[in-house]
Amino acid sequence: MNKLYNNKWYVIIFLLPALILFCGVLIAPIGASAYFSFFDWNGFTDKIFIGFSNYKELFTSDSIGFMKALGNSLLLAALSVFLQLPLALGLALVLGKKIKGERIFLSVYFMPVLISTVVIGQLWLKIYNPDYGVLNVALRAVGLDNLTRIWLGDKATALGAVFVPILWQYVGYHMLLLYAGVKSVPTELREAAMLDGATDGQVNRYIVLPYIKPIIKISVIFAVTGSLKSFDLIYVLTNGGPLHTTEVPSTLMISMLFLRNRYGMGSTIAVLLILLCFGFALLINLVFKEED
Amino acid sequence: MKKILAFILVLCMVPFMAACGGGGGEQPASDGGGEGEEVTLKLWCIATESDANRPAYLQAIEDYEAAHPGVKIEMEAFENESYKTKIKAAMTGGSSEDLPDIFFTWGGAFLGDFVEAGKVACLDDIYANNYTEDQIPSVMLNNTTYGGKHYGVPTTFNIVAMFANMDLLAQAGWDKVPETYEDLIKCCDDLVAAGIIPFGCAGSETWCVTEYLEPIILKSIGYEDLGKIFAGEATWNDPDIAKAVDTMQEMIDKGYFDPSGVALGNDEVKANFLAGKTAFYQNGSWNTGEVAAADFKSAVAMFPLMNAERSTVNCAIGGPSDHLAVYADGANVELASEVAVALGKEICHYNYLNAVGLPAWTPDYDTSSLEPLMVDIGNIVNQCEGLVLFGDTAMSADPAQIYLDYVAKVYGKEIDGQGFIDGLTKDLQ
Repeated sequence: MNKLYNNKWYVIIFLLPALILFCGVLIAPIGASAYFSFFDWNGFTDKIFIGFSNYKELFTSDSIGFMKALGNSLLLAALSVFLQLPLALGLALVLGKKIKGERIFLSVYFMPVLISTVVIGQLWLKIYNPDYGVLNVALRAVGLDNLTRIWLGDKATALGAVFVPILWQYVGYHMLLLYAGVKSVPTELREAAMLDGATDGQVNRYIVLPYIKPIIKISVIFAVTGSLKSFDLIYVLTNGGPLHTTEVPSTLMISMLFLRNRYGMGSTIAVLLILLCFGFALLINLVFKEED
Repeated sequence: MKKILAFILVLCMVPFMAACGGGGGEQPASDGGGEGEEVTLKLWCIATESDANRPAYLQAIEDYEAAHPGVKIEMEAFENESYKTKIKAAMTGGSSEDLPDIFFTWGGAFLGDFVEAGKVACLDDIYANNYTEDQIPSVMLNNTTYGGKHYGVPTTFNIVAMFANMDLLAQAGWDKVPETYEDLIKCCDDLVAAGIIPFGCAGSETWCVTEYLEPIILKSIGYEDLGKIFAGEATWNDPDIAKAVDTMQEMIDKGYFDPSGVALGNDEVKANFLAGKTAFYQNGSWNTGEVAAADFKSAVAMFPLMNAERSTVNCAIGGPSDHLAVYADGANVELASEVAVALGKEICHYNYLNAVGLPAWTPDYDTSSLEPLMVDIGNIVNQCEGLVLFGDTAMSADPAQIYLDYVAKVYGKEIDGQGFIDGLTKDLQ
């Protein structure tokens, strides 16, 4: 087999299909987006080269509102890391202790990940409905009428109302990743610690968490890049409204591309999104490496 | 042995490589062509199961296929908003295999962008050879005429109408729809006093807000001036527009609009009206059939005159905005053009009979069984001195979206009338 690896032609031939696929599906579109970002183009007629004007306009124009959209995404990323992941980790640690009904709990928590996002969006639209939605109905039932809101239509509550289902949907996803890590901790390590008198909390803190650190890192990367790319649930629930309160870069990009026919500007947002995702992934890697 | 294994692995890769490289060879023969062969034409539209236009599309296609056994029309329907994305994406990057032969389009700037890019077939020859001015008045083709050439087939003609639930109005002591602005305000006050919400408006779909705001502006500054503004030939900086916007906001402040509406879509707001939750519903006349079928006595009117010095009661927002068009690089452009015009005419016919819209094509069929509410709308249009096409259709995509953003800000009370005209003047002119 080593001889096979040493023959560079075999290596090239074997790698070629994957390389073609990788370049065609990932690299080429990124390159195309970067190219289009330097043009004023409506997608149909002739392109006009404008250099970095789209980038400049993106960061300075009030009518586009990119900074607000980016701020929303970063807020979601922070909530994902500091709220969603700890919750997922807590569940993974509890379920990893071989509790009764472990598999049922796993399935239930993971279920939202399996359901189509559009279905989840419709479900939460009904929950938030100001007239018959279960949230307002429940508040009225317990005499808290003053707390009822038009959750998705009120600028004060729309962003929070959109973030809740996004965070809720992916708790199960991160829980499963972390659960797999918790389960991979050797039993003898746990038992040795227990024999030395360690409590559950101490076992988790000094044995389990350090052991699953690579998985935590992956979860953090997924949570942050997923938040930056978040689109589907927001699109279904508010489509960036009311008055752009729940706008994120992805919804803004779709709006630029297909509603405003600004393919150059849409491509600029796409390029910045890619750079942000790569940047954050590298930063998280660096932070975890330094801690090691 | 290892070399043999390597060769076997390489041989196994050949089919995968071949699959990756497919498409470079000969293309299969197109659907059209040979004599006696069945030609299949692909049609994209927004006539989904919940769309009032769907029965007209299905009936027109069935009729056409029955009369032309060699032609099959494959209709694919998409939801309104997602269709805008779908058709633009297909036109931008799609190959001729991806695109339909015939596609639904809005008139004005929406189709204009595709025409400018050379993606749409000109229908002048079909109109000149097969149809007369009596059948399709040239004024009905204005919204799809670019550089003097016709590119679209109108499938209906609609205006913004104010539908009323007369049972609810009766509860507030009104036996007819108010005809003046003062009466409308009084009627709304009476409705609110009776615990009835006068209007419902879907805030999550800004085009629904324009269905309220545009008629108020129209009745404040007149159809000529508004038409010029939408066409980019006049400024938004008009104090009467600011006043019109303030009027709408006063109506919101007085509780004339269902507060839940800001978070609802048009389907939900319409359902509320049809269920008797709101007294009025101002929207396109394509809703006539559904309103007429509702379980209450209904009536239709126009938003009343606001400023007699600049406007007239006899003008409306609307016109033929829904059309079919033909993809210029399709395999059967000539046939598709003939089919598109014939289909458009018949869709128009069935839409009229189904009370989904007024006829852009002159009716050459029995109209004695028309829905009375549709007849009322027809009478309103007949008295109109001028029509102004829906703002977001009349403007090209980027300004239209900026305009819609400002309209949303008005409904959300983020800006007042002065902010509206200042903002649009700054951003659009």
